[in-house]
Amino acid sequence: MKTRTRYSKLDAFTAWSFLTPALILFIVFIVIPTIAGIVLSFFSWNFFNEPKFVGLNNFAKLFNDPSAWSSLGVTMEFIVLGVIPTTIIGFMLAVLVSANMPAVGAIRVLYFIPVVLSVAVSAVLWVFLYDPRQGPIAAAFRAVGIQIPNILQTQSTAVPALVVMMVWLALPIVIILYLAALQRVPDDIYAAAALDGAGAWRTLWSMTWPNVLPTTLIVAVLQVINFASSSLDVSLIMTNGGPLNASRSLGLYSYQEAFTHQDVGYASVLSVLQLVVIVAIVVVGRAVTSRSSK
Amino acid sequence: MKPGKIRLGRYTSIVIFGVIIALPLLYLLSGSLMSYKDIVQYPPRLLPSSPQWDNFVQAFNYLTPQTIGNSFVFVGGVLIIQLGICLPAGFALSKIPFRWATPVFALFLVPLFMPTNLILIPTYIVTFKLGLIGTFFGMILPVAGQASIGVLLFRQFFAGLPNGLIEAARIDGANWWQVFTRIALPLAKPIIAAYSVVTFLTAWNLYIWPLLSGPGVGTRVLTVALAPLAGGKFSSISPSISFAAAVISMLPVLIVFIVFQKWFTKGVAGSGLE
Repeated sequence: MKTRTRYSKLDAFTAWSFLTPALILFIVFIVIPTIAGIVLSFFSWNFFNEPKFVGLNNFAKLFNDPSAWSSLGVTMEFIVLGVIPTTIIGFMLAVLVSANMPAVGAIRVLYFIPVVLSVAVSAVLWVFLYDPRQGPIAAAFRAVGIQIPNILQTQSTAVPALVVMMVWLALPIVIILYLAALQRVPDDIYAAAALDGAGAWRTLWSMTWPNVLPTTLIVAVLQVINFASSSLDVSLIMTNGGPLNASRSLGLYSYQEAFTHQDVGYASVLSVLQLVVIVAIVVVGRAVTSRSSK
Repeated sequence: MKPGKIRLGRYTSIVIFGVIIALPLLYLLSGSLMSYKDIVQYPPRLLPSSPQWDNFVQAFNYLTPQTIGNSFVFVGGVLIIQLGICLPAGFALSKIPFRWATPVFALFLVPLFMPTNLILIPTYIVTFKLGLIGTFFGMILPVAGQASIGVLLFRQFFAGLPNGLIEAARIDGANWWQVFTRIALPLAKPIIAAYSVVTFLTAWNLYIWPLLSGPGVGTRVLTVALAPLAGGKFSSISPSISFAAAVISMLPVLIVFIVFQKWFTKGVAGSGLE
């Protein structure tokens, strides 16, 4: 017997019994679906017939499907337009409200409050804000003599309009994460910067920003996932992917293939593609930031 | 420039940006009390001419009291099961010595950065095969199964408890269950509170999964009942009544958030640190 038998059998039994409930739910509803999603991408299945193995046919279909590539473009549009502004604005607002002054703690609630909104609640609000005839945004433009189109039903503006709302919804979490990071930045670096005569703007970007870089990485990864993922909820509710599929992301395309066209195999391929895109962005993003921080 | 001036300038910008961020939400609250004439008035008005509480009565044509109850059942179920599975798992992985602790923990961490929407379709299939579509169990269990963050958070917390405390209890003859329930859990109250507030908010606001797994009247939650009001499927409904419906469905989370704001920010900051 080797030395590792110092683990007591009773302890091991107890540990497994503590873990079993979590493991059962986790395996049944996370691990199995993850594997099933990959396996199903090699099958032809419409929920009702016998699944049929088709090899790489679904992947071949992907390469000849312009809709898939335009959906990929839409997903990228959501990510690119969304992640950078959310991160930068979130950082700057967090620095602003990190001020250690009386009453600021109470005012901060204004910055956190959008976090309570579901996509559904937010959609009710913003569909009206964007309404071309009755909405306040159109009214503001009309006041200066500009007639704006139906923002959510115009191909070039649909995704940016959805992204504006999503940035707004995402900011509270980003601000909270940066506030926690800012608390860990030692105060003496600011004293040093002040001695050097650095202005507030320079201190912000050359002292504060590098000090919260680890948080920026986490924020960016979380937001890539957020914008790729919640584009499904947002466009399903607000535009149904329109106009002319201009706001149909990979997530929504996959959803439609599964639940509207009952093509489970192809829908799975689209989900796999989405995973590849997210992983690729995160990996490339990490490489770029780690090089630029050296 | 005098420090006093800097302070005043900073105060002013903190307030201005705060109001800009909160403005859409304040407008939602205000608009929910406007008459149809008020809300479509040009130029737009910020406050109702006289509060129309009747909007909230009419909103119940779209959100029944049952949908509110369903939301509480769904969220309550997710919360109880999540705490019930993640707390003992986190404790076992950090304090009970056994050979498989590291690999099991690694397994839980794999999907940490995987958006759940990616496994939406296969999760639906699994839930369907189990015969749970259209039931509260079918809605709750797959969400409760997203245990990665909970296990991670509680494991980190329990790992930070001094081992001497636990060994002393073990020497006194306490079994692991007693150590867990009598020593670890009472100390974990703050982190349980933080995690609960975040989970409550997240689950309350879920849309796609409850839509797929429980769209029927008996299980329909608020987000699912509300979403059609945004998609223009009821073009005849006044925006102010849609707003009132939106306010009703957000009110419980708004209250939870305002009361437990401290715990919420702790929970978010904690889950983002690792």
